[in-house]
Amino acid sequence: MAMSLSDSRVLIVDDNEFNRKSLALVIRRAGISEIAFAGDGEEGLRAVDRFRPDLVLLDVDMPVMNGLEMCRALRRNATHEELPVLFQTALDSDEEQVRCFDAGGSDFISKPIRPGECVARVRHQLEKRKLFNDLAAYRERVQRELSHARAMQHSLLPESRRIAAVAERYGLILDAHFETSSELGGDFWGVYPLDDRRVGFLLIDFAGHGITAAINTFRLHTLIDRFPMEDAAPSQWLSRLNGALKDVLPTGQFATAFFGILDLATDTLTFAGAGAPNPVLGVGADLRLLDSAGLVLGASRRARYADQSHRLPRGGFLFLYSDALIECGGEEHGPLGQEAVPAFVRDALAVNRLHPLRPMLDRFYARTRQPLRDDLTAVWIARRA
Amino acid sequence: MQFQTRSTSDEVEVRLNGRLEFTDHDRLSDIVGLLDGQRARRFTIDLSGLEFLDSAGLGMLLILQEEAEQRNIKLTVRGPQGDVKRSIDLARIGEIITIEP
Repeated sequence: MAMSLSDSRVLIVDDNEFNRKSLALVIRRAGISEIAFAGDGEEGLRAVDRFRPDLVLLDVDMPVMNGLEMCRALRRNATHEELPVLFQTALDSDEEQVRCFDAGGSDFISKPIRPGECVARVRHQLEKRKLFNDLAAYRERVQRELSHARAMQHSLLPESRRIAAVAERYGLILDAHFETSSELGGDFWGVYPLDDRRVGFLLIDFAGHGITAAINTFRLHTLIDRFPMEDAAPSQWLSRLNGALKDVLPTGQFATAFFGILDLATDTLTFAGAGAPNPVLGVGADLRLLDSAGLVLGASRRARYADQSHRLPRGGFLFLYSDALIECGGEEHGPLGQEAVPAFVRDALAVNRLHPLRPMLDRFYARTRQPLRDDLTAVWIARRA
Repeated sequence: MQFQTRSTSDEVEVRLNGRLEFTDHDRLSDIVGLLDGQRARRFTIDLSGLEFLDSAGLGMLLILQEEAEQRNIKLTVRGPQGDVKRSIDLARIGEIITIEP
């Protein structure tokens, strides 16, 4: 089915009144009623700015400014770069056609006018432009909505003021980084003050990335509030979250998780893992990977999780991260890999003892192809000495 | 990811090669399709040639498990190596799918 061209606007530039009228007659029969006229190139340029045509029918030989000059002038202007320009030219002149294309013409119509051919070429250009504009408008709308969604996703995460307040309250150094591989991502992290001596840390990574994974982080956010953390061991809490996620996630979608509670009174970190990458625990000179294996969340209702406890006294730290840190590589270096993380942390500590997250990220980005293939979250949690 | 299929009267074996990741989601339906129209009650996915598996890849194994279960077909994952094995162990996929060394 042919597209309606009734809202298309055509500018006819020709110094011959008879030609202008004939062309108008022909394209009016094709359903185009918004038509403007100009008698030379200069008038034509002014008419383009005023009339905003969707297509220009342009004669070559005209006084004051000819069609070739006018077309070149249009193409120099970014706004009119894509404007279809159809030259009226004798179709048997190869040389003239080359000149018209060189000047930036989109196509030709023969002179004298052949109505059928003229309408067909005009229609072709206008339809192409319409489709292109529709696509551009669609793209713009999606882009706008994605950037709203992106802002919403970021609002799920602890904001810097809150991070600073928690750090102050519990005598911690807290630094965090969150980056999605496209507009939206499937990572999530949170910090939860439980009482005066206990604070919880959660890091979750939904499989995949992009919109589907991001929708899951919104689902997650509403679920988290449903299960109080105060009276549950990390393993119990993860089990509850797992059951709720299993109810809402389709098969094949799941999340890896780390949930830990730091108790300042007993200097103890108690945590449960659900397939998150191994966090790094640092106490004194000892850096070790914690075992965070566990059935991923949302895959089976039968999943059971186990708690582990480790000493985390003043001066000690815990480093949490999502798998992008160890799975994304570059041309020169492959991915970092799980086993290399403690040394990676140690190197960063040598650069900045108190805030090693920045040097870690610097080194990561220096060796990794960008944009990242997956979402990256990294959280540095240290107890002040 | 590429795969080769070998069928006997009682078993279908699919060998995966390369990397199984996010971008392979479209290929999954090809493998699920293999579950249909087979007499075999055993379906083995051989991962010994697979170099890399990301979380989306793990998700695909879970989907295959469910699709097999629905058709009353026994799914086994065989021979994961190196990083692939580490990923499967970390996510404890063995609690859901039978993993053979």
